[in-house]
Amino acid sequence: MYPAEFAYLRPPDLDGLYTALAQHGDGAKLIAGGQSLLPMMKLRLATPDVVVDIGGARELRGQWRTEQGVRIGAATTYRELQRSPRTLALLPGLAGALEVIADQQVRARGTVGGALAHADPTADLPAILLALDASVDLHSRQAERRLALSDFITGVFATDLRDDEVLTAVEASEPPEGSGGAYTKFEQPASHFALCGVAAVLTVEAGTVRRARVAMTGVTAMPSRLSNVERALTGCRADPAALSESATVASEGIEPLGDLHAPPEYRRHLLEVATRDAVRTAAARAGVRWSA
Amino acid sequence: MDPAANGTDVTVDLKVNGRHETRTVPARTLLVHFVRDRLGLTGTHVGCDTTQCGACTVEVDGVAVKSCTMLAAQAGGCEITTIEGVAPGDGDGLDPVQQAFWDEHGLQCGFCTPGMVMAIRQLLRDTPVPTNDEIRHGISGNLCRCTGYQNIVAAARSAARTSTGTRRSSRADPSATSTAPAGEVS
Ligand SMILES: Cc1cc2nc3c(=O)[nH]c(=O)nc-3n(C[C@H](O)[C@H](O)[C@H](O)COP(=O)(O)OP(=O)(O)OC[C@H]3O[C@@H](n4cnc5c(N)ncnc54)[C@H](O)[C@@H]3O)c2cc1C
Ligand code: FES
Ligand code: FES
Repeated sequence: MYPAEFAYLRPPDLDGLYTALAQHGDGAKLIAGGQSLLPMMKLRLATPDVVVDIGGARELRGQWRTEQGVRIGAATTYRELQRSPRTLALLPGLAGALEVIADQQVRARGTVGGALAHADPTADLPAILLALDASVDLHSRQAERRLALSDFITGVFATDLRDDEVLTAVEASEPPEGSGGAYTKFEQPASHFALCGVAAVLTVEAGTVRRARVAMTGVTAMPSRLSNVERALTGCRADPAALSESATVASEGIEPLGDLHAPPEYRRHLLEVATRDAVRTAAARAGVRWSA
Repeated sequence: MDPAANGTDVTVDLKVNGRHETRTVPARTLLVHFVRDRLGLTGTHVGCDTTQCGACTVEVDGVAVKSCTMLAAQAGGCEITTIEGVAPGDGDGLDPVQQAFWDEHGLQCGFCTPGMVMAIRQLLRDTPVPTNDEIRHGISGNLCRCTGYQNIVAAARSAARTSTGTRRSSRADPSATSTAPAGEVS
């Protein structure tokens, strides 16, 4: 399968990307790792006139410690993140999520910015980044803005990104001391995509959950926080029974999607199981000892 | 290097198995077709063409990727290693991973083998002494329709044994070193 014909540009810097986008408008498409875009182009689901490679723009690579947490350049690959122990140490739950994304070859190409801009309703990275209170930086020649990740993703493969904008970086927040994170995923074995994935970041103090961030993917039109579960957890004793109990409200008010691989009722069930596992693992990593 | 865009053609300049190659191709040319059809290196296979099977795995700057899901133009300026380039010297010998496939009968029809070898080379660079679970996780992007995987896992184990400490890494994995300065939190 070949993509339809297109012209290829690789500007040497971020400014060149802005120019290319401004010049070619909605006929242009950015390519990062190509792990989502190229399969779509082969199927002719995407037929851009101009493909603009972000690979030349060094400004989009790198990870920086910020006051809030870590700022990660959009062109950073999953593999590079996996090999960045300092970032992983600051962002609980991230390492476990990266490990279960796709396979080693896809992780070597797929980027953080591509994953977020593509907004696949079953993507793993958005779930853990929602649990880490992430925001994204969007830049164009004219303007720059910052959006909470939860406002950036607006639907199935839909975001608030404009035609002339580049997602330049994502900033994830370091949770307070005493936090632990986990990601639990049930995957479709052939594609590796999530039937259901739940990320949890819990802060535990003196045996009580002080702060909870829980987010899901794969279940509805887009990854989102599970505020019911977060409310149930906040102030709750961090013992196995109470933590498990919080998972029973996970699917309240949620209409799971169904497909060939998992009908809605099955996804609803997986959501509860994955939530229970993720919050218990996160609590254990926050230092809770069950026997204590 | 910056491939010169000329309508829908691009000039791609890269190194394959140590040799400089320059070709002008349609921009939509995938790396796997560049390698097979332009350079005649047909050891890299096309199995699924949908990023699932791993038969097309090659190394780009020392890192295993699926060449059916990368534009040749994106590989401009990079060093590519294909299955034809993994054996030491003038191609008489075998890479330790190839030898292990021979020893453990890790192939039947052989269609998946080039990609499996490239994937396991990557796995062993990252995890020199992998557990069976780590081996299976490492090759989860590669499909084999014949062997049932048992002997492929055995081959990976055997290659890990013979190559621990002794295996060369002719082309360094840049993400192992250069991510640190460019990529690490400072
Ligand atoms: C076999 C296979 C298995 C997979 N399994 C999983 C899985 O288990 N879990 C999972 O989460 N994902 C999975 N994926 C998807 C993969 O994680 C994403 O495709 C990848 O991360 C997208 O990043 P990319 O750099 O490849 O983006 P690209 O494919 O290059 O781009 C994707 C989209 O984002 C846009 N874009 C890219 N970068 C930017 C930017 N900086 N600013 C603005 N727009 C941008 C592009 O224009 C395009 O629309 C799988 C993919 C494959 C092929
Ligand atoms: S041909 Fe590339 S993954 Fe199957
Ligand atoms: S040996 Fe035939 S596909 Fe693996």
